[in-house]
Amino acid sequence: MGAYLVRRFGLMLLTLFGISLIIFVLLRLVPGNIVDILFDSAGMVNPADKARIEQELGLDRSLPMQYAAWIGGMVQGDLGFSYVSEKSAWAEIGPRIPVSARLAGTALLFAIAIGVPLGVISAVRQNSALDYALRVMSLSGLSVPSFWLGLLVLMAFVALFGAMPIYTQESRTWTEAILLVLVPAATVGFRSSALIMRLTRSAMLEVLRQDYIRTAHAKGAYPRAVNYRHALRNAMLPVVTVIGMEAAFLAGGLIVTETVFNIPGLARFLVESIRNRDYPIVQNLVMLIAFLVVTINFVVDLMYAALDPRIRVGG
Amino acid sequence: MKRWLSLSLATAILATAAAAGAQTPKQGGIMRAWQRDSPGSASIHEEATYSTNFPFMGVFSNLVIYKQDVAQNSMDSIVPELAASWQWSADNKDLTFKTRPGVKWHDGKPFTANDVKCTFDKVRDLTQDKFRKNPRKAWFSTVRDITVQGDNEVTFHLERPQPALLALLASGYAPIYPCHTSAQVQRTAPIGTGPFKFVSFKQNESITLARNPDYWKPGRPYLDGIEYTIVTNRSTAVLGFIAGKFDMTFPLEITPPILRDIKAQAPGAQCFTAPLNVSTNLIVNRDKPPFDNADVRRAMALTMDRKAFVDILSEGEADIGGTMLPGPEGVWGMSKEMLATMTGYGPDIAANRAQARKIMADLGYGPNKMLKVKISTRNIATYRDPAVILIDHLKEIFIEGELDVVETSVWFAKLARKDYAVGLNLTGNAVDDPDQAFYENYSCGSERNVTGYCNKELEKAFDAQSQETDPAKRKAMVWEIDRKLQNDVARPIILHDRKATCTGPALKGYTQMVNSVYNGYRFDELWLNR
Amino acid sequence: MARPLDLARRFPLGAVGAVIMVVFVGAAICADVVAPFSPLTTNPALSLARPDALHPFGADAMGRDILSRILHGARISLAVGIFSTMIGALFGVTIGIASGFIGGWFDLVVQRLTDILQALPVLVLALVMSAALGPSLPNTIIAISIPLIPYVSRVIRANTLALRELAFVESAEATGMTRWRIAIRHILPNTLAPLIVIATAQLGSTILTEASLSFLGLGVPEPYPSWGRMLSDSAAEYMRTAPWLVIFPGLAISLAVFGTNMLGDALRDLLDPRQRS
Repeated sequence: MGAYLVRRFGLMLLTLFGISLIIFVLLRLVPGNIVDILFDSAGMVNPADKARIEQELGLDRSLPMQYAAWIGGMVQGDLGFSYVSEKSAWAEIGPRIPVSARLAGTALLFAIAIGVPLGVISAVRQNSALDYALRVMSLSGLSVPSFWLGLLVLMAFVALFGAMPIYTQESRTWTEAILLVLVPAATVGFRSSALIMRLTRSAMLEVLRQDYIRTAHAKGAYPRAVNYRHALRNAMLPVVTVIGMEAAFLAGGLIVTETVFNIPGLARFLVESIRNRDYPIVQNLVMLIAFLVVTINFVVDLMYAALDPRIRVGG
Repeated sequence: MKRWLSLSLATAILATAAAAGAQTPKQGGIMRAWQRDSPGSASIHEEATYSTNFPFMGVFSNLVIYKQDVAQNSMDSIVPELAASWQWSADNKDLTFKTRPGVKWHDGKPFTANDVKCTFDKVRDLTQDKFRKNPRKAWFSTVRDITVQGDNEVTFHLERPQPALLALLASGYAPIYPCHTSAQVQRTAPIGTGPFKFVSFKQNESITLARNPDYWKPGRPYLDGIEYTIVTNRSTAVLGFIAGKFDMTFPLEITPPILRDIKAQAPGAQCFTAPLNVSTNLIVNRDKPPFDNADVRRAMALTMDRKAFVDILSEGEADIGGTMLPGPEGVWGMSKEMLATMTGYGPDIAANRAQARKIMADLGYGPNKMLKVKISTRNIATYRDPAVILIDHLKEIFIEGELDVVETSVWFAKLARKDYAVGLNLTGNAVDDPDQAFYENYSCGSERNVTGYCNKELEKAFDAQSQETDPAKRKAMVWEIDRKLQNDVARPIILHDRKATCTGPALKGYTQMVNSVYNGYRFDELWLNR
Repeated sequence: MARPLDLARRFPLGAVGAVIMVVFVGAAICADVVAPFSPLTTNPALSLARPDALHPFGADAMGRDILSRILHGARISLAVGIFSTMIGALFGVTIGIASGFIGGWFDLVVQRLTDILQALPVLVLALVMSAALGPSLPNTIIAISIPLIPYVSRVIRANTLALRELAFVESAEATGMTRWRIAIRHILPNTLAPLIVIATAQLGSTILTEASLSFLGLGVPEPYPSWGRMLSDSAAEYMRTAPWLVIFPGLAISLAVFGTNMLGDALRDLLDPRQRS
């Protein structure tokens, strides 16, 4: 187990290293660099000033040097400066983490609270009208773009209540504060709930077909007890995996939802920073996302290894 | 021109009180405003969009300013700020300001005349510590030197008379910066002498200002502070405004359909529609065949149905004009009669197009031999939308345009490289004065002259009108220049847009300026009736 | 004719999906004939016109007929969906089979590369890719197809590994067939079923990714009537005053993706009985 851990950890670092290279190179391929963006709001470009700023930002160095400077700084805990705001990258990223984390956490809770029970019901009542209805519902959950759902929710809110809470600086009433998190979270979580429901359903079906469940039924155990006590517990392993993965991959849903609801979180900041060619921010944000995904994968793998002795460690 | 202009502060305050409907202003309260996007920086001198002026003008004071409660900017509406008074020399080549004594910067240091010199020397690119970018260097190209006499007097020495220098100094784009801070500080946490102190600027999130208790105007500002919330989605922002989350929308950002919505949903709101003094224009690369042919450019000017642009883009609200903003809001706009005589401005579009088609047919183009061209424009709706209409109109004269959407990041770089054939551009005029509009956009070698149009003859005419002290004579000269620019298809102006600003029921004392969207945000006279 | 009917009875949801897909593909192919107006022609008189008999879905801010734009938009969605899935599948299958079959260091390198590409959410990777390539239809297709490659190659690799263990491959090896011939003759045909399953499942998500990218302004640019693009900018601006700008393109996206998903589910049940739900 110890050797496995070390090997697994090494692979994790390798993956992160690969990501850092890819993102670094990709950003350098982007047409138009940060200095052009800085000049954009001045409505002109002055070549001499441009060269001076490039030097100031260290963009005149060779690419390997720039890469080394970034990684070297990161190892020492220095993420660099935002080219646009001239604040440290951490000062820009740090305060936005809780905003996105709160949204993602609520969305995930929402997804689990809806997805798991519905998935179980759907499996237990396989091929019933209810099952079909739930399956169609989950498929539509996977089909509706979350930004469109967000726009519809905004429109519905305004039509019903005449207003929709939006993020401003002033202190809010508690209902507003809750709505501000809940509504976007439900929009993001809707898709995840559909996914979780589908997986719970198929995992449950898989388990229900297995011998020991049949035995339990044969032994006259109360069906509901069998379904919930034995089957669900065993079906949870793949479901937990998916939930883990979904947690990291919520980033995709957050990008559009934070944009629609004007939430000052990390995901929207990523889009804005890509637009602004703010390399230090984009690089560090992408690394942060990759780090989350890789860590969650790691934890999930460990859980698998610990929980299910059938899984051969390694491979 | 030898006269001391000195307006007493007392009359200025009286006038404001009268404008506010004789209500007694209340002290206190935080104004909440919608900010449409995250400005490039807090440094007004380094930016060229009013996304910076709106939230940061309150931090600074100018030497002189367009009186904030007069809707039309003109020479007559210029009032003193950090300058207590000013005087032109007999030859109209030296402009001397007496500065206000006892003014303090937000960090407590005293303001002196030397700060004025520092500011404009930096704008003229003469200092060691430089701006990252310096879009309005050309504004002060006639300034030969700036000298300081003691702590309270500063003189601008000019190469030649330029009465409009005062207009440029009165713009929101001419704040005074302290000598003792670097350009970098001004970009990130600016220090000024204005009614509000800078508190925070969170990218894509918010900007906060707080009342400056040591403001030089006694008893001002009324507000305790201003919170600007950055909302990039216009619809979300308007929802916020209707729900009473904002006391003020971003200035002149409300289009006619949304204005109707606001009027229906928020009856307490007050809305003002005004021109932005931003023109939508066509740019043609005269070095790229076949656009080096004046006839092709003429045909393009003829096919544009300006009224259709106006109807689609602004439900008929926008104005048709030349380089200078049309009246009655614009001071220098051509008369309707003169306008109609210019290439492509005539009312009979069918006849114009027939003429244009003939030009194109003579050059060998026709329905079976379309001239294929890319129409470059920025990836922003206000650029893209007119470009789509333009393509539609060009089709009429056998030009098949394909929209080439250019990322905002490379737009100006692309123009500077002349890497385009036909493009669609927006040009803002910060000061409704020909000196600003002509030199900045049409003089040879100006950095903001994106098309690189260069006509030495016309340049002489620019100088001649600039030195003219008789407004009536100057106006005639300006019209003639404007007519030549349009007929030369230098940068055909399609329209001057008009949009609205809305303020909530509690906000008092805001005046929407009608011939510049860059100059009216000092906000020291605003107050909240809450 | 009995067979399709029979299938439809066995997979009612799949049949619905197939019908939606036929309509969707039909719209894309026949847009020029079916669309009542040009998707690009502007008309001042129709700016933000409400839905009526002539323009059943209304018109946008520039007076362009929304129904026509949606019909033409099907082309873009379909083009992005099909081409990016094809590119992703082509590379994914090649890499997956090669990696499963060759094994050794090659497999190891490929595995690590897939790890790397899969450590980023699809939209994040596509976002950075499309920013790097610039906004255009081909670039959007590339940006969306690249995150697909590791996904496909992983499944195909696992499938290849499983096939290698099977008796017929082993016997082929015993008869002295070269490895490449085995790969082409035996492995590739048996890859088809899982490939079809993944491809249909991915078709929907590529359409969604394109819509999201275009919504964020990084996908297919104006004036092309991409559904996602139709929902950004002016639609979001006028959603209160002209909700039809928002409702119809969004419905189009949802229906198209819903159709591919249902069809994909049914195909999976049909072709891959091990995963039957």
